[in-house]
Amino acid sequence: MFARGLCREKSIKIAKFKSAVIAYESFFLYLLIMVKESAFDLHDPIVALATPWGESAIAVIRTSGEDCIKKIAGVFKGTDNLSNKKSHTVNYGTLYNPKDGELVDEVLAAVYHSPHSYTGEDAVELFCHGSPAALQKTLKLLYEQGFRQADAGEFTLRAFLNGKIDLTKAEAVNEIIRAKSDKARRLALHRLAGSIEKTINSFKTRLVDMLSALEVMIDYPDEQYEHNEFPPQEFKKLLAEVHALLATYKAGRIYQEGVGVALAGRTNSGKSTLFNLMLKEDRSIVSDVHGTTRDFIEGSIAIKGIPVRLYDTAGLRSTDHPVEAEGIRRTDKIITNADIIIYLIDGSLGVCGEDEKFINQYKSGGRLLVVWNKCDLSGKKVPKAFIPISSLTGQGLQNMEKAIVFLLLGSSPLESDGPVIDSLRQKQSLEQALAALKRVETGYKNRVSYDLLAVDIKEALDAFGHITGQVTSEEILRAMFSKFCVGK
Amino acid sequence: MDFDAIAIGGGHAGIEAGLALARLGFKTLFITQNLDCIAKLSCNPAIGGLAKGNVVREIDALGGQMARLIDSTMIQFRILNRSKGPAVQAPRAQADKAAYALLAKQTLEQQKNLSLFQDTVVDLICDGKMKKIKGVVTERGNRITAGVVVLTTGTFMEARIFIGDYMTSSGRLGEPAAVGLGESLRKIGFEVGRLKTGTPARVLKSSLDFSRLEEQKGDEIQLPFSFSNHRIERPHVPCYITYTTEATHKIIRDNIKYSPLYGGKIVGIGPRYCPSIEDKVMRFPDRGRHQIFVEPEGLNTEEMYLNGISSSLPEQVQERFLRTVPGLERVVIMKPGYAVEYDYINPTQLYPNLESKLLQGLFIAGQTNGTSGYEEAAAQGLLAGINAALKLQKKKPLILSRAESYIGVLIDDLVTLGTKEPYRLFTSRAEYRLCLRHDTADMRLFSKGYAIGLQNNEANERFEAKVEKLNAINELLHKRKVDTHDISAEPLLSKYKGKTFARILKDPAFTMSVLKKLDGALNDFSAALSTQIELDIKYAGYLKRQQEQVARFKRLEKLIIPSEFNYDSAKGLSKESREKLKTIRPLSVGQASRISGVRNSDIAVLLVYLTKKSGA
Ligand SMILES: Cc1cc2nc3c(=O)[nH]c(=O)nc-3n(C[C@H](O)[C@H](O)[C@H](O)COP(=O)(O)OP(=O)(O)OC[C@H]3O[C@@H](n4cnc5c(N)ncnc54)[C@H](O)[C@@H]3O)c2cc1C
Ligand SMILES: Nc1nc2c(ncn2[C@@H]2O[C@H](COP(=O)(O)OP(=O)(O)OP(=O)(O)O)[C@@H](O)[C@H]2O)c(=O)[nH]1
Ligand SMILES: [Mg+2]
Repeated sequence: MFARGLCREKSIKIAKFKSAVIAYESFFLYLLIMVKESAFDLHDPIVALATPWGESAIAVIRTSGEDCIKKIAGVFKGTDNLSNKKSHTVNYGTLYNPKDGELVDEVLAAVYHSPHSYTGEDAVELFCHGSPAALQKTLKLLYEQGFRQADAGEFTLRAFLNGKIDLTKAEAVNEIIRAKSDKARRLALHRLAGSIEKTINSFKTRLVDMLSALEVMIDYPDEQYEHNEFPPQEFKKLLAEVHALLATYKAGRIYQEGVGVALAGRTNSGKSTLFNLMLKEDRSIVSDVHGTTRDFIEGSIAIKGIPVRLYDTAGLRSTDHPVEAEGIRRTDKIITNADIIIYLIDGSLGVCGEDEKFINQYKSGGRLLVVWNKCDLSGKKVPKAFIPISSLTGQGLQNMEKAIVFLLLGSSPLESDGPVIDSLRQKQSLEQALAALKRVETGYKNRVSYDLLAVDIKEALDAFGHITGQVTSEEILRAMFSKFCVGK
Repeated sequence: MDFDAIAIGGGHAGIEAGLALARLGFKTLFITQNLDCIAKLSCNPAIGGLAKGNVVREIDALGGQMARLIDSTMIQFRILNRSKGPAVQAPRAQADKAAYALLAKQTLEQQKNLSLFQDTVVDLICDGKMKKIKGVVTERGNRITAGVVVLTTGTFMEARIFIGDYMTSSGRLGEPAAVGLGESLRKIGFEVGRLKTGTPARVLKSSLDFSRLEEQKGDEIQLPFSFSNHRIERPHVPCYITYTTEATHKIIRDNIKYSPLYGGKIVGIGPRYCPSIEDKVMRFPDRGRHQIFVEPEGLNTEEMYLNGISSSLPEQVQERFLRTVPGLERVVIMKPGYAVEYDYINPTQLYPNLESKLLQGLFIAGQTNGTSGYEEAAAQGLLAGINAALKLQKKKPLILSRAESYIGVLIDDLVTLGTKEPYRLFTSRAEYRLCLRHDTADMRLFSKGYAIGLQNNEANERFEAKVEKLNAINELLHKRKVDTHDISAEPLLSKYKGKTFARILKDPAFTMSVLKKLDGALNDFSAALSTQIELDIKYAGYLKRQQEQVARFKRLEKLIIPSEFNYDSAKGLSKESREKLKTIRPLSVGQASRISGVRNSDIAVLLVYLTKKSGA
């Protein structure tokens, strides 16, 4: 349906993995969960990119759902309020961020009123510039307005439920999704999809074991039990693992949507040289004149599969020149919004007061990386905290990239090929499970009774069940009777 | 037509069914093999226990008989699991078996509209198309017609009992099996299977060495099961505890080849949760000892029941291993333990109202449906009786939900999942057990019993008065605030100054008894009532979460699948699921989703067709 694969190797892997997991049970499963879970109703506003990721002339972002037009109207500046536009009109305008008024993109917005849209709901299609950087910004803006990332097949599902297409057509769509996952399987991606299932199932089995220990004590009150059968240590371990899996959501999103990386430093520290090196393209002007770069320049690259918007910025120094001052103001803003700041120190000069000031200001944010540039020149010993690189020779670049990934993902769960979640639904289910498990933990500490502990354990099991299938009471009983000798 | 209704079988299922039909005004025939063997407690002399105690109270709330029978015949009472949580406490009583059976028989005899008759049913009369039941044929050649029939054959249909090498056609030691009906049912097209269960030896009280047994007393206060009784004054008789020894286990291991089960004579499947002592020893070789409860069978008998040690080994072996148990060194066996194997009907052949899919008007209940246990049997008997009556009245069936009763869990499990081993209720089978406390059974079900007509106006007034009182306590606790007076009486309450009594109850450190000392008005209410409110308040957080789960559960339950729904036309269903759905014919998407092997994607396909139909 929505080819959202990123054109970098790892990203493609992740995107396929995602469709393999989600399409696994097709959009029908989604319907089921929506009926059961109030968290996902059938009408909330959703958004998805309808054209492939990557550089292209035009990209289409599709939205649908309640208040969808109103929500976009709130960030759309055109000749007239978008909410007042008739159905099936195409409107030129700009998207801007209401928080700071910043221009996000120039777009054409096609407005469809319910029921005259593909889904039968209010819908807007945005025709935007097809650069990943711009798209990422636009999507981020829409998430901030309350749109949710659509699941695979969800637009078609809604179309079906609203009577816009008939079942044969819906089935055909389902087939496509299925076929996609078959292909994914052929591409040996099944292993990835399987690994999350395996992990969740292991959570479930272990939890069922713990629950059955409580249940047997409840249902056979007259039996004698050697000790309290509930294992707090194992439980703690489980809790930590759930936590870790949940943490991969961030990684999943990072691979999906990418990050912004800003190059900062004093004038002449080598930012533009580094920018060109990373971009593998001679894009930014390099010269030994201080203050060469006046306005920021951006480019898209991938670092170990992570889509990155890279910004070269104006060098930081105090200046009276109004143009340069404006450039520095823009630099500040980019630095503020960046996920990662790479701060360059001119290694031939060493650390100066301004560098120290900058480092001190940002070092606690968890997004600052300080590199010691021109390490080919300086005879100075590189202080330990800095990564030595040479933007001229490319020396140290690998190390820097590793450091960036580390800063984003920690001990990089993706490197270890463990399971990763990147669907919102999985994340919400895991959060629900984690919250329930934490209640079990405090409950156990406060010695609440078994029946109450069981409520939360079951809630956690149910939440896991939303990802890989419900645990039945028969499974709990089986665990009880295989482990305990009880009865008349 | 000779009768409006026929109830076959004098067990716990049959008596509830017969009574319900007669009480609802239908001329009913109660037919059983032997009128002197009515409502027998075939196995352990106790009613209630985990989940089962709740069922007894649910039966009472709906207007059934079991709670009243045990209230009048108990000889010991206990609330189990006091320490394990409010939702899993349950009442259990030891019964005087003979008194229980006698009272049941008297109740039946005195029931208006009910005729008791001794004979064995061997065949069913159907209409020409074999679609509808018309009546029954008995062993002595009687042909009796009726509009509806409730079948409860218990452990008797084509039954055989086993003790070592000994095998005979019998449903309970000393009582002949009901032969013929199983064959007829197979011919009509029912899927009939075999199950087995077993019972331990009964021994002579005076042969026991009580100095070597540990006494287990009941609770001081005996509480009624029935909501219509206020207090119970019955004798208190203790039980005793002892343990098997390594010597016991050795004898069992050495003689295991003589076990009809291990020797392969029994084909029926036994319950995992109620293993015989042979099973325990063989399956858990590391356990050094197994617990035995020695329970009285009644006030006027010397028979004692040995709970925990059911066996079908040869009688001599039983005697030898029993004599290795402390306190049982000179034990005299009065009745040996034995195993029984019998026909059952896979309950997926029934609708949730317990009516058979094959034969309209035929309702099946009790052990015949693959359950075991008196309470499970009685609950089904009551519901089958009620639904048979509702059918005669051409009214909508009574189907209890899993979220409102253990009976709902029981019947839904049976008709949706079927069973391959004797089915017993556990609290863990219920997803929402916090909502199924035994003390709230009347809150959950009384109005249904009243609407059907099994509860009279007097009972209704009593119920309404109770609800009023509960509201009054609740209000008092939410209004009454902690003042300086209270604090001087109970200094620990100082941190709750100005807070309501209800707030204090949320603190695990304080109970209602503390509050009762502070405010006399609380003493105007019975302990049962104030405890009920106390639990509601104390566990409100958990209850709320559970109620949210229930709300989610109900969404799928509310999606009704029309009875004429054509599964063959639903493209996209997997073949396996289609077959299962066609056999079970679930009433709702919720029920469909619980059928084993039906996958999420199939449920979703179903949803798609159903939502389409409703024009969404
Ligand atoms: C040996 C043994 C071991 C048991 N072990 C356990 C246990 O471990 N745990 C447990 O919970 N429960 C156990 N029970 C089961 C318990 O007794 C039953 O679950 C319960 O009594 C079932 O009630 P019911 O009404 O279904 O059938 P029953 O109590 O068996 O009653 C059936 C009645 O129907 C009559 N009947 C049968 N067929 C016909 C016919 N064709 N015509 C006329 N009358 C007929 C019989 O005479 C009998 O009166 C055991 C029972 C036995 C016999
Ligand atoms: N030897 C050496 N020279 C470098 C290195 N990086 C940059 N230079 C030189 O340093 C000078 C400044 O480089 P730029 O990339 O323009 O520096 P900048 O930080 O972008 O400067 P402004 O745009 O003025 O802020 C140029 O002459 C580069 O060739 C390096 O790693 N080694
Ligand atoms: Mg520059």
